[in-house]
Amino acid sequence: MKKYIFMLLAGLVVGNSGCNNDEFLDLEPKNILLEEDVWTDKTLVTSVLSNLYGRFPDFQSIEDWDNFTEFDEAFASNAGTYGNHRNADYGYGSWGMWEYGYIREINSFIQKCEAATELDPADKAQFLAEARFIRAGVYFEEVKRMGGVPLILEPLTYDFSGDPSYLRQPRAKEHEVYDFVISELEDLKGILPNEVSDKARATKGSALAMQARAALYAGSIAKYGTSTPQVSLPGGEVGIPADMATGYYQKALSAAQEIMTLGYSLYQKKPDLGENFASIFYDKNNPEAIWVEDFKLKTGKTNGFTIDNQPRYQSEEQQGGRLNPSLNLVQSFENLDNTFAPLPIMDASGNLIHYTNPADLFAGRDARLYGTVMLPGTQFKGKELDIWAGYMRPDGTIITSSNLGGQADINGDGTNEQVVGFSGPIDGLEFTAQTGFYLRKYLDPAAGSGQIGTRSEVWWIRYRYAEVLLNAAEAAFELGQPEVAAGYMNQVRVRAGLTEPLTAADITFDRIVNERRVELAFEGHQLFDMKRWRLAHVVWNGNRMTVSDLTTNIGKADKTSTMPFGLWPYKYLADPNNPSNTDWVFRIVLPNPVTTPDRFRLGNYYSQIGEDVINNNPLIVRQPNQ
Amino acid sequence: MINNLLKEMPPSKSNLKGKPIFSMLLIIAIMCFCNSYIYAQAGNISGKVTGENGEGLPGVTVLIKGTTNGTATDASGNFSLSAPASGGTLVVSFVGYLTQELPIGNRTTINVALAPDAKALEEVVVVGYGTQRRESITGSVATVTSKDLERVHASTVGATLAGKLPGVSFRMPDGRPGASANVQIRNMGNPLFVIDGIQQDAGQFNNLAPNDIESITILKDASAAIYGSRGANGVVVVTTKRGKAGASRLNVDAYTGWQNWSRFPETVNAYEWMAGQADAEMNQNGRTNITPAELEKWRAGTEKGYQSFDWYDFIIKPNAPQTSINVNATGGTDKIRYYLSATRLAQQSVLGREFTFGRTNIQSNVDADITNKLKVGVQINGRIETRENPGVPGGDDYWAPRFALFRNRPTERPFANDNPAYVNDIGHNDTNWGVLNKTVSGYLNDNWRVMQMNFNGEYELPIKGLSVKGLYSYYLADHIVDIHEYTYDAYTYREATGEYERTGGSTNPYRERQTGKVYTTTAQGLLNYNNTFGKHTIGATLVAERLTRRETNIFVHAVPKTNVLPIIQFADVDTYNDSDNEQARMGYVGRFNYNFADKYFLEFGGRRDASWKFISDKRWGTFPYVSAGWQLTEEGFFKSLGINALTNLKLRASYGVSGDDDIGGLGAFDYIVGYSYPSGTTILDGNAVTGASTNRQVATTNISWFTRNQANVGLDYGLFNGKISGELDYFYFKRNGLTQTRYDVLVPSELGYALPPENLQSDAQMGGEASLAYNGTARGVEFSIGGNVSYSRHRFLESYKPRFANSWNNYRNSGEDRWTGIFWGLENAGQFQSQEEINNYPVNIDGQGNRTLLPGDLIYKDLNEDGKIDGYDERPIGFPRDRNPIVNFGLNFGASYKGFDFRADFSGGAGYSFLPENELRNPYQNGGQVAKVLYEDRWHREDPFNLDSPWVPGTYPALRFNQGGHSNNRQSDFWLINARYLRARTIEFGYALPAGLLQRVKIQRARIYLNGYNLFAIDNVHQFGVDPEVMDTNGLQYPQNKLVNLGVNLSF
Repeated sequence: MKKYIFMLLAGLVVGNSGCNNDEFLDLEPKNILLEEDVWTDKTLVTSVLSNLYGRFPDFQSIEDWDNFTEFDEAFASNAGTYGNHRNADYGYGSWGMWEYGYIREINSFIQKCEAATELDPADKAQFLAEARFIRAGVYFEEVKRMGGVPLILEPLTYDFSGDPSYLRQPRAKEHEVYDFVISELEDLKGILPNEVSDKARATKGSALAMQARAALYAGSIAKYGTSTPQVSLPGGEVGIPADMATGYYQKALSAAQEIMTLGYSLYQKKPDLGENFASIFYDKNNPEAIWVEDFKLKTGKTNGFTIDNQPRYQSEEQQGGRLNPSLNLVQSFENLDNTFAPLPIMDASGNLIHYTNPADLFAGRDARLYGTVMLPGTQFKGKELDIWAGYMRPDGTIITSSNLGGQADINGDGTNEQVVGFSGPIDGLEFTAQTGFYLRKYLDPAAGSGQIGTRSEVWWIRYRYAEVLLNAAEAAFELGQPEVAAGYMNQVRVRAGLTEPLTAADITFDRIVNERRVELAFEGHQLFDMKRWRLAHVVWNGNRMTVSDLTTNIGKADKTSTMPFGLWPYKYLADPNNPSNTDWVFRIVLPNPVTTPDRFRLGNYYSQIGEDVINNNPLIVRQPNQ
Repeated sequence: MINNLLKEMPPSKSNLKGKPIFSMLLIIAIMCFCNSYIYAQAGNISGKVTGENGEGLPGVTVLIKGTTNGTATDASGNFSLSAPASGGTLVVSFVGYLTQELPIGNRTTINVALAPDAKALEEVVVVGYGTQRRESITGSVATVTSKDLERVHASTVGATLAGKLPGVSFRMPDGRPGASANVQIRNMGNPLFVIDGIQQDAGQFNNLAPNDIESITILKDASAAIYGSRGANGVVVVTTKRGKAGASRLNVDAYTGWQNWSRFPETVNAYEWMAGQADAEMNQNGRTNITPAELEKWRAGTEKGYQSFDWYDFIIKPNAPQTSINVNATGGTDKIRYYLSATRLAQQSVLGREFTFGRTNIQSNVDADITNKLKVGVQINGRIETRENPGVPGGDDYWAPRFALFRNRPTERPFANDNPAYVNDIGHNDTNWGVLNKTVSGYLNDNWRVMQMNFNGEYELPIKGLSVKGLYSYYLADHIVDIHEYTYDAYTYREATGEYERTGGSTNPYRERQTGKVYTTTAQGLLNYNNTFGKHTIGATLVAERLTRRETNIFVHAVPKTNVLPIIQFADVDTYNDSDNEQARMGYVGRFNYNFADKYFLEFGGRRDASWKFISDKRWGTFPYVSAGWQLTEEGFFKSLGINALTNLKLRASYGVSGDDDIGGLGAFDYIVGYSYPSGTTILDGNAVTGASTNRQVATTNISWFTRNQANVGLDYGLFNGKISGELDYFYFKRNGLTQTRYDVLVPSELGYALPPENLQSDAQMGGEASLAYNGTARGVEFSIGGNVSYSRHRFLESYKPRFANSWNNYRNSGEDRWTGIFWGLENAGQFQSQEEINNYPVNIDGQGNRTLLPGDLIYKDLNEDGKIDGYDERPIGFPRDRNPIVNFGLNFGASYKGFDFRADFSGGAGYSFLPENELRNPYQNGGQVAKVLYEDRWHREDPFNLDSPWVPGTYPALRFNQGGHSNNRQSDFWLINARYLRARTIEFGYALPAGLLQRVKIQRARIYLNGYNLFAIDNVHQFGVDPEVMDTNGLQYPQNKLVNLGVNLSF
């Protein structure tokens, strides 16, 4: 008996030290697909490709509300982001991108896909075309931010030889990157299917839309670069020769015109033009959208844009109110007679103008204003906004509260009344509408979109048909065809209620700039448009603004706009004994957290290339003016 | 009888799972039954067992040899039992005494005097894979036993260790119910926990029942190398209580206590809030809408709408109960020994009464001698651990109420028109405490159910001193988190109409369930040899060990249609995440001891260890160590010196290498090229596609663990026959092989991937410890005084070819050969005394030409004399703020006189920084409250409404409304505090009732006590109202509790 026990225990020790150690230690990972699993299976290739789509970079998007407050389109009503209105200069590194990890993965995908033997040839061609489309898009995103970058089209691998110099590549010329993007897309438009209803994957339409925009960018850099000769490098890494402008504009125009034959059209489904404009961004049954980043409820791919920015008062969650569109933007929307004017809050003799409803102030304006901005006196999700700053007495004194929806005794009868909106504005109090406005564009009216447990499936439209029309208009204008330009622009404007057509004579550079400003606000265009027109250092010139700076020169391309202003509605208390007997007056304000004007320096036109990048590759030349 | 007891146990054990209280009662009932049986038995042998001084020894086992017929002596040492007709032999045994065997013959009275067993009285210390006599230990090892731990009534085990052991650093930044302390060995990071021989995680350690722990040993130096690739940060070895041969005992330890926050920052009332805002607006803008008349109304506080609301009083409910009861039964015969225990702990919080922690533990340790040579044992421990609180949107549910204390203004009220039926819409209702309860906002239940079973067998081989041992352990933990957040409404009261209008609330129904399981197995085979040849004693241990761990997790989220039912419906589910991770480790251990005449000691050994984490050719590592000791007082020459007072002096030294496979930046399977799956979701063609990411393009095949080279020298001393004793230690531990990417080969960033890291960097942990204890008796008072202090600091040594763009960069950012975690900031040079001084000040303090400055604002030293204050003027100003203190110390006092006993333990720390920020620096942070200290002691104008009125100086700058970016708020030594504290951990008075009194009620021992925990602290952060161990810079962490409790120890 004892012998057996001894043997048993000894066996335990010995058995433990047996020869199957590696078997014991070699565990199988449960979350890693191997190469051979992937390249034989269409579904798994789609998985890899979907990840490449999913990481496509956007500087501003609905996944990142605060980037919209970097310029003058909006104020950030969020204490942690007030810094956007307090820093004098944009950092040279701002908006930079050097995404070669991502590019390597795309190149690697292309290489492996080409080598794959077990995929259906049609699938393989489609996968390759989509990957090349993503790559062209990424290089476009790179060149927009950085100028010329090394054009690497194959996955590089270091051989651990100790000498990595063979891996070094210099920056391409800026136009070479644009040329690469344009020629790739030229090639792809013949391969990719023309599927107007396919919005999330590359199609002929999205290839052409990207091509038109890229060519327009290259053309305007070539043309307007002459106004900032300092913003260039001798090797052409930054700056495009002026004589190339026409060729690019022609390409832009022809690509845009080709899209017009594919079956896309402006979204015009709703009779209320303001609501119609807002619907473009949340109605997915949509002939206008060309290429989008899609979201879907209950998939994990949802966004919190509505939660972040919904009106604080009627929010479904105690969340929202962060993006406050500026008065600077609001007043850029034209009157329906095609004129520009400040909002009429004061008559010629300096008396406040009274309105019975706060929304009346905005009557007779471009319908896109309603579709872009939530105005006081309008509704969201069927509920009236509660944006008002307090009661104003005839002597100009104000009764308000520093608490949301705060109450005070107005007429001294011992009864407290609400004296400020539940959405503010309260100066310096985050999440209130500190400019007097909230954002409507991309806000999701669906129930649940404002709940952190549900979120929103509103998509992010990267390319849409209205922009194509404006691209065509701009290219035609630059090519000396203002009547063609007017035709395209009027299509967009009619939809906004601006039924009085612009004539060829009306088409000016100012018009082109303002049309894009109001049509494409909060869609990620502003920075790159201002850069390519070389207007950024003019508009964001670091000068402090007064109210009169704000209200003059509206609609001018070079108008200074360095600080986001607001417009606060007050209930005017003519009879203190009867608080319900009120009408509305307005006051222009500069929110307290805005202390410093924005300044865009010449060195900001091309984002700084990191020291580490330059250290790692001595062939990389630095950006100018930094 | 004892066998009877064991037969009775299984049913009660199964009951323990669900109904602990019932089970405890059952155990009590059984034990009472057994005891009464003992006393009811008539016997024809009786006698008295006495100790070396002739005193009666209670609880001594008296047994007829070869039978189960036995008993135990009573409180006076008397016994009686029935003897067999044939005479037989009486076996009298007691822990710490030599067992005696006496032939009964025909005697009816046998008195026995037991002699102490010198060997048994020697302190035995649990070390890795075995035990050693204290005298023969050559490593740096510290031990604390149950008698020290049981006085600390903290809810988790780690929290009981403060100040108890030299070399153990301690910080408990968070004191919520069931919270654990940050306990580190010599500040090396997370140690390895070994419980009854099984490698375990910190959660299992912290949630053992403190009553069940026999001892905790800390392996501080190379002695931890025996744990190989996981021993680098030191090892905490825990042993649970075992039954001892002797009388059966039933012990009850119960207390009930009342908790209060040790400290929390104070805020201002509504008048002060409004006055401060007026002040701030005048300071910032030169104008304010607040009028003196309005302020006067707030000051009076009588008019409706002008009353201050005290959120602290509303949220914080003092004297939160904490209760614990432990019942254990222990005893055994010479063949079988048991320890059975059940403990129930219930802890509430001061946040209302719905934030709670509860834990039920069972421990069942049974050891049996099957034959003289074969022993088997089983240890089972299980627990149910429950954390419950209202479900609150956002991450940490304990954050919302604490944030509410500062986010909510005293001008806001929780209920509309003060009517509790209507939650007031204050615009940030996520901090409205009127909402934060289980009825309105939902619930969170977080439950652990854990069972660990160890089986072991030991067999003495025919060769003398050689034994073989096997151990198998299975551990299963089940973790379920259920969160259900309800929708609710918030109202505004319209006074004019008397209506409550719904103006806000939450329409977010949120339901979440996490289900996690942990499975671990441990298999060990041990070969042990121990023998003495004359003056030579030899010991050897060989171990083979295999460990597996698997963790599975499922996360489900749903948007339910209803608040009332918890069941999750598929149609409501929008997220389902699944994960499954496995680990495997194995190791071979060898250890050899040699001892010559208790004078010279030598130990060497090591471990060969492998971890699944690395590619197969980097898997195995060898971790050797050696240590030696020299008992000087045994030397002839020492004795001839005639230093009679010095009765013990032992020199020790150790050196070894231990490792850690938990290296930063390396995940399991990084040696495999492939696609991570899942990697995000993309919607293509309207359908969700799960992504596969190609980021695993280049395999990491060159990394292995880092190693820690541990050198330690120390000495143990004893004076006056051990009346004074202590230890001194010095250590220097160098780590090699920390990962870094080689930087002399600069690959272009356009390559698209960084070169894999390699084991290149090194750092060091260095310091020492000292301890001193004195035990004495004076006029019948037995007393002891002890203290320990430890110092351990982390220094970075060198990285591989560091590069710096310029000399400033080198100065500011280099870590080469420097202490780590140094806090950099500006040096404060006083405060501006007048506007004139500001106007004439030559240095641009605020970056805006000093336009934003007011009298009282901070002046910074322009160290580089460039006329402006910026990052170039920053210098080292403090210690790490988010680590355990560099210096830790403890003081322990104890005294007893007759039945009375007293005990006081203190612990403290220094060499760390506290940084007040946000709420503690920026008044009206988030538009909310103002810390009282910043309001009351501020620079302000005599008449806040008059810009020309004179300034009144204070300690803190003039108020601004939520202006975190002001130059006053830059990091500087004005704010940073290099903290130090000494706090009373445990102060206890106890009284044991006289034995004579107890005998009548059949109670062996009864003691009552009054105990205070964390009663006070002396420190230099109190002005902010923060607990000295708090880490969060806003000071709003849940601080440790003061606990006062009343308890009783009973033995039957």
